[in-house]
Amino acid sequence: MKQTKQIKEFAKQLLKMSVEGGDLSADRVDGVLKVLDKNPPRHHIAVLKAYLKLIEREVAKSTAIISHAGAIGASSVELISKQLSAKYGRSIAPITREDPSLIAGLRVVVDCDVYDSSISNVLSTLESSLS
Amino acid sequence: MSSVIEQIEQQIANLQTKAVASNTGKILKIGDGVAKIDGLSNVMYNEMIVFPGGTIGIALNLEEDEVGAVVLGESNHLKQGDEVKCTGTLLSVPVGKGLLGRVVDALGQPVDGKGAIESTETYPVERIAPGIIERKSVDQPLMTGIQAIDSMIPIGRGQRELIIGDRGTGKTTIAIDTIINQANINKVGIASGDPDFRPVYSIYVAIGQKNSNVARTLGVLEEKGALEYTIIVSAPAADAAANQYIAPYTGAAIGEWFMANGMDALIVYDDLSKHAAAYRQMSLILKRPSGREAYPGDVFYLHSRLLERSARVNKDNGNGSLTALPIIETLAGDLAAYIPTNVISITDGQIFLETDLFNQGIRPAVSVGLSVSRVGSAAQQKATKQVAGKIKLELAQFRELAAFAQFGSDLDAKTKAQLDRGARIVELFKQPAFNPIPIEQQVGVLWAMQNNVFDDIDVSKMVDASNSLRDFLSSRKEALLTSIREKAKIDDDLTAQLKAAVEEWKPTFA
Repeated sequence: MKQTKQIKEFAKQLLKMSVEGGDLSADRVDGVLKVLDKNPPRHHIAVLKAYLKLIEREVAKSTAIISHAGAIGASSVELISKQLSAKYGRSIAPITREDPSLIAGLRVVVDCDVYDSSISNVLSTLESSLS
Repeated sequence: MSSVIEQIEQQIANLQTKAVASNTGKILKIGDGVAKIDGLSNVMYNEMIVFPGGTIGIALNLEEDEVGAVVLGESNHLKQGDEVKCTGTLLSVPVGKGLLGRVVDALGQPVDGKGAIESTETYPVERIAPGIIERKSVDQPLMTGIQAIDSMIPIGRGQRELIIGDRGTGKTTIAIDTIINQANINKVGIASGDPDFRPVYSIYVAIGQKNSNVARTLGVLEEKGALEYTIIVSAPAADAAANQYIAPYTGAAIGEWFMANGMDALIVYDDLSKHAAAYRQMSLILKRPSGREAYPGDVFYLHSRLLERSARVNKDNGNGSLTALPIIETLAGDLAAYIPTNVISITDGQIFLETDLFNQGIRPAVSVGLSVSRVGSAAQQKATKQVAGKIKLELAQFRELAAFAQFGSDLDAKTKAQLDRGARIVELFKQPAFNPIPIEQQVGVLWAMQNNVFDDIDVSKMVDASNSLRDFLSSRKEALLTSIREKAKIDDDLTAQLKAAVEEWKPTFA
């Protein structure tokens, strides 16, 4: 089912209902899903897909995925989270992931924004500047 | 070898170890040179974006939850989920004199195998056209070297003159002749050492053409010695529609550099019909709403914003100019089609080429009735005005009478004289391709025409007579031609000299 304007609009309304105090609330999302399960709307699969996409985007906005090669201290993670929260004006929850392909350094992703200080990025920049 | 190592050492030294911030997205779907991207929340309209492998794209559709972008170049290696990065800059191309004599693609990269382009400056491909305050009226001529055009439809520096006609009517030939003529004038002017001489540099933009055609044009320019003053921007038919769409803007950016630096440039867009078709293809794939003839709603703006960039700017802004010769191909002479009417309304006049005239052997097949130059007469040389002032009217009257005379056998003496004169003018204006005539020779021949020198010569021998007179003037009366060129007007002294020269020539032509 193609996502029509109406479906997208309906999903947006559902997202609005899922937000509490400017942040996404797990309880409210759970509530929305229960209501949808009880009273499925027309084209409910398309609606759920659109809703999932919006939820994913909302989660990505308030999540910092910190990829690192080697160990990273809890204080560093906390500092990154604090600084990003200040920068974006919303609470950013950190998620750490080990990624050996970075060689060394960090790569932090918040929604579309990428902050890369890894060696692999430096090397790829060097590669593109030489080609 | 050591220089390469030094270069790498320098690159390594310049590497930044601090975090590099970038705005990214992921390819949702890609096909037909168009990508739908999720993310890129900070992307600007027309911003250059980078795909994996360094492939460049332009963000054209900024939608609520995705970005539509066209891929410039090869897109076969791109796949769903690939990361795309914003660059924060608009698409820019190298500009400057280092491009003269070179053939570049739509991104300004060399395709002629002559090595890298020596250029330190870049200009954005899309730019706002000069405003009212920066502009100046067109007041300097741009000679095409084609008698019919220079005398009847004069073009000035900074003008936009459309060349329009069916396929195979000689549109490109007129443009190439003009480029060759600029090179010829440049050579004479530079050799003269005149400090006030302003050379005209040419840019030829080939859009959606066969590579063989571009190669032929390149060959002609090289053979005629015009390539050293010319830049060719090529987006052939085999290139992606996005490249064909961007090529004229690249050419305009290259031309703007000359204008901004106080020089004169000429740009030929060959042709804007194919440009509109490429834009239509791109827009349909981007799922933009289509309008008349399936063109998107902004197809007028597509050409108006391009052609408005051709201008004559005032002294405070460098005193340069960019003259545009856009080409439009019509179908069965239909001037009222969508794209032709759009471009006619944007430009400062048009040279209409007729298939019938072309097939009759009247080449260049300029239709006098339908061709016009709205601003060029202000820039026309006085000498040309003096000798060609009435020619357009006489020729237009001839065309009307010739059609009328087919039905009547008894014609009065005045009508017969008009028909005879018209037939001579038609013959006089016949000119082979890639053979532009210097303006001083044109003035000499037109003076002879105006003063009835050719009246006793058979119409069928008119072409030979004008060639003979031009040869005579260029070989025997060089000083006279130089005087015409330098004075740019015919005074009593020049009239006497021309009279004497023609009297001397007449017995030599039997």
